[in-house]
Amino acid sequence: MARCADGTHAARRFLAVAGAALSLSLGFSSSQALAFESPQDGVYEDRIDWGVTGDMSGPAAGSQHPWVKGFQSRMHLVNEKGGINGRQINVLAEDTRYDAPSERIAYEKFASQTPVLGMSGMGNSSAQTALVPMINRLKVPVVGTYTTAKASVEPTNPLIYGGFCGFKQMAQVGVGHFANSLKLDKPKVATVHLDVASGVEFNGYMDEAVKKLGGTNVSIPIKVVAADATPQVLALLDAKPDFVAIHGVATTSLLVLKAMQQYGVDVPSFAITYLGTPSVYQSVGEAAGKNYHFVSCFTPASAASPEAAADLIAQAEKDGHGALQDDINFVAGWVVAGLVAEAITEAGEEPTREKLVEILNDGFELPASGLSSKLVYTSKDHEGLKVLQPIGYDYATKKFKSFGDYADFEQYVN
Amino acid sequence: MLVQFLLTGLALGSIYGLVALGFAVIYKAERVFNFAQGILMVCGAYLAYTATTQLGLPFPVAVIVIIAAAALLGIVIQFLFIRPLSGQPLLPVIMITIALSIILKALIEILYGVQPKPLATSLPTGVLILGDVRLSQLNLTAAVVSWVCMGVFFAFFRFTKAGLLMRATADSHEAAILSGVNVNRINAGAWAIGTILAVIGGVFLGQIQLASTELEHIGLLALPAVVIGGLQSIPGAIVGGILVGVIEQLASGYISPKARDVFIYIPLLIMLLVRPWGLFGNRELGRV
Amino acid sequence: MTSVSTSRTAMPIDEFAPSAPARQKAAARPLRWLWLAVAAAVLVYLPFVLHDRAILGYRLSNIQLLNVGLAQLNLTLIAVLGAVSLNYLTGCAGLVSIGHAAFFAVGAMAAAATGAQLGLPFLVSLVAALIAGAAAGVLAGLPSLRVRGLYFVLSTMALHFIVVFAFSEYQYAAFDVFGISYPQPAIGPFALDSALKWYFFLLPIVVLCCLACNYSLKHREGRALLAVRDNEQAASSSGIDVRVLRLKAFAFSSAIASLAGALQAYYLTTVSTELYSLNLAISFIAMIIIGGMGSIAGGVVGALVWLLLPSVLTGFAGELGAAGGGLAKIFVEHRPQVVNLIFGSLVAVLLIFAPGGIVGAARKLTKLVRPGAEA
Repeated sequence: MARCADGTHAARRFLAVAGAALSLSLGFSSSQALAFESPQDGVYEDRIDWGVTGDMSGPAAGSQHPWVKGFQSRMHLVNEKGGINGRQINVLAEDTRYDAPSERIAYEKFASQTPVLGMSGMGNSSAQTALVPMINRLKVPVVGTYTTAKASVEPTNPLIYGGFCGFKQMAQVGVGHFANSLKLDKPKVATVHLDVASGVEFNGYMDEAVKKLGGTNVSIPIKVVAADATPQVLALLDAKPDFVAIHGVATTSLLVLKAMQQYGVDVPSFAITYLGTPSVYQSVGEAAGKNYHFVSCFTPASAASPEAAADLIAQAEKDGHGALQDDINFVAGWVVAGLVAEAITEAGEEPTREKLVEILNDGFELPASGLSSKLVYTSKDHEGLKVLQPIGYDYATKKFKSFGDYADFEQYVN
Repeated sequence: MLVQFLLTGLALGSIYGLVALGFAVIYKAERVFNFAQGILMVCGAYLAYTATTQLGLPFPVAVIVIIAAAALLGIVIQFLFIRPLSGQPLLPVIMITIALSIILKALIEILYGVQPKPLATSLPTGVLILGDVRLSQLNLTAAVVSWVCMGVFFAFFRFTKAGLLMRATADSHEAAILSGVNVNRINAGAWAIGTILAVIGGVFLGQIQLASTELEHIGLLALPAVVIGGLQSIPGAIVGGILVGVIEQLASGYISPKARDVFIYIPLLIMLLVRPWGLFGNRELGRV
Repeated sequence: MTSVSTSRTAMPIDEFAPSAPARQKAAARPLRWLWLAVAAAVLVYLPFVLHDRAILGYRLSNIQLLNVGLAQLNLTLIAVLGAVSLNYLTGCAGLVSIGHAAFFAVGAMAAAATGAQLGLPFLVSLVAALIAGAAAGVLAGLPSLRVRGLYFVLSTMALHFIVVFAFSEYQYAAFDVFGISYPQPAIGPFALDSALKWYFFLLPIVVLCCLACNYSLKHREGRALLAVRDNEQAASSSGIDVRVLRLKAFAFSSAIASLAGALQAYYLTTVSTELYSLNLAISFIAMIIIGGMGSIAGGVVGALVWLLLPSVLTGFAGELGAAGGGLAKIFVEHRPQVVNLIFGSLVAVLLIFAPGGIVGAARKLTKLVRPGAEA
């Protein structure tokens, strides 16, 4: 049966019909058995299997684990409201442990071992790049990535759909906003970034965005396992930037901010979306954190309107993730699960992988929900969430604050 | 700039030295090459989180609780994991310390979750300005505490009866057994001390950044430190730690952060080839 | 240094002689052929079971197949190459290296230079990986002329970091930041484009490497090395050149590891420097200790346990979590952590109660059940 995962869709269809016919003829059926089933797509009478991969242990777990939890929480809510077209959504989460082979194993597992209708996540950009040929072969759609590698969207791949703010837009909005609000003509910028793939990529986009304004960008690398950021801050002192962009993990950004304060480098800074967690702000303290922002296409619950965030807050409390409700990664997982639910709903009573791709590839839109900016897929562009806004933290109220609407920052993105 | 790098390296290296010292104490006593030293350090950061943030203990009480818990942890580990393997060759013992670090890491993540925890104690966090040089008071405190600890344990091994017994046992297990020393108790003591030292390092590193299991990798920098200094040598571990700290700063500052590992491990390789017993160690078997 | 500590720093002495008395061998021969045939049949049929998720047409659930898939099996076969070659080194030359991840990286680099940059055929780049691995192995083995035991282990660890640094410089200079991408591997007109094809390509390589290691262990060279391991001075006084033998063993072992690295790189299609972590290096040591040091079977068993057990545990943890009950919440909430916890504990228990690894324990058991039978 599962051989068809490698085979043609026609064969798969045929087998699905044959399987249904067989179950009918064997008399297993009640009236409900007439409901559509397609086990090789992870679609059953009463449930749909959906895959999620993410680092739930290992060095990236601090940000990816909340994302998976956010995804699961949203699906709990969907299921409590009766599921989608009478089917419950069953989330199969695989831990990828910051390990490319694990990502490969998980994807092949979702293709035929425990077949799913589609999957989300895939947070390691190197592993994602490595998987693109496999995705093209096994054809399980990836809807809502946690990071979007270049190889996944350039050229546009009908099977891969971004689900997170892109590094390019982060650089554009960050640079645009700060150059504008600080009234800088030719901004001098420094980018402190990890010396891994995504860090080098982000720095490249910073170069581009700054150059467009006629300014200069200095690249300052830092190691993931750093115990100290003195060399980085001395390089900052040397560069005398107007503002600083930070790419990293929670610990490195914290070290950089603390060291900046220590050396009296008092310039505004903005970080990539992944760093938008209350714990970073709380541990740097107000003195170093008041001038620190992050750019994001997601809105943390405390910065969103109460109506928009009500479901998220209630469900997070219910699932025991109350502490995560303001974590940007939890919100991101929540939003992506909403995207998935919407796509499955539109795929109708008889969803298959093929139909899902059809729905998404033909032009798909989710309006801004209050928890994220507008999401748009066209047949030429699968990046999805392209508009971001800067967000800061108010230490007095312990809440995030945004600096306007997403629409105000659309001008910086292209 | 150079002075700045040297001083920051010295402060940071003192913490590595402290962790390396714990490593050397355990190695000296039982010939256990402890890959779990990094995760023991992580335990320190989380113990501090529990004591200060979760239990809200006043700082001096918290310190006592942390040290007592660390000693207990060391003794339990020695009893459960190391004692059953005593007499086994090098590799299984290394492996069990790796298994131990997998277990401790999983336990920490189950108990505290995978998100890093902000750690705030009442240690000073300001900046000390000396001319052009700026030093974080926290790093400085860490350095001072490290030096005090090293001094205390140095005195312990030199002047107390228990310390002398430990050294004697380390030098010759057989002689110690023959003269009626309870080797198991001595070894448990060594694990308690080694764990305490790692945990103190962890409290500082946890506060310098965050309490997270990723601190483990920083703790593993104690490994080259202790080898450069000399596996058997207590002052060697300290000097090795400081060297690693200074090399790290200079390499990151003048070349690139990525070059750090190479500049730590190439000297290590040369040291192994030229003087395998380390800067301060005694010449021992282990060469061809 | 006293005798006690010397024996601890020295390498373990394998209690099992590699060859059994010929008399017993002859008696066991027909049975042995039967077993071999069964094993071969299982190895050939297994990938179809995992691919079709069914045995002889009977569909099996994921948990009945232990949550294992074909991709995992292929990656395990590659890991078997790493573990077996490391065990060859440990078993016959008494050297342990934390450098095996570095040799994987060397193989991936050689394959990148020949396959991705020069566009040479797949098989040619595998040969290049073998040669590069052997050369790197000789270099890495040089410290063994001066230091032993723990110090040698540490020298290979230093080497690991140096090679990984070189890999990262090479990757960033010549390729994308996301990693080195390899072309679609093909043998003549046959493209290795499915998990099944890969399996039947990898299986003979693994079997051949195991046989080669076994042969070398049991014949002149291997015996000489064993003599070196057991008593170096006696060996050298009887005219064996210890240094050359040890370097040869190191080159042979590294060549296989490097081949495995090239295969892994091609299998994953893109690899980046982050793959070659110290954890990967340590995992090979873990495999041979779990499986049993000094024997080929030990390497195979260890690799199987290390790569497949977490997945099996994950499967059962999922079932248990779904079943409900008091611990179910912890299982659901922290499944990866619970899996790691059980895994770590199993390894610890194994080390304490079966110091000879799984193969060692199995042999002891057979001896107990059938005294006099071939161990």
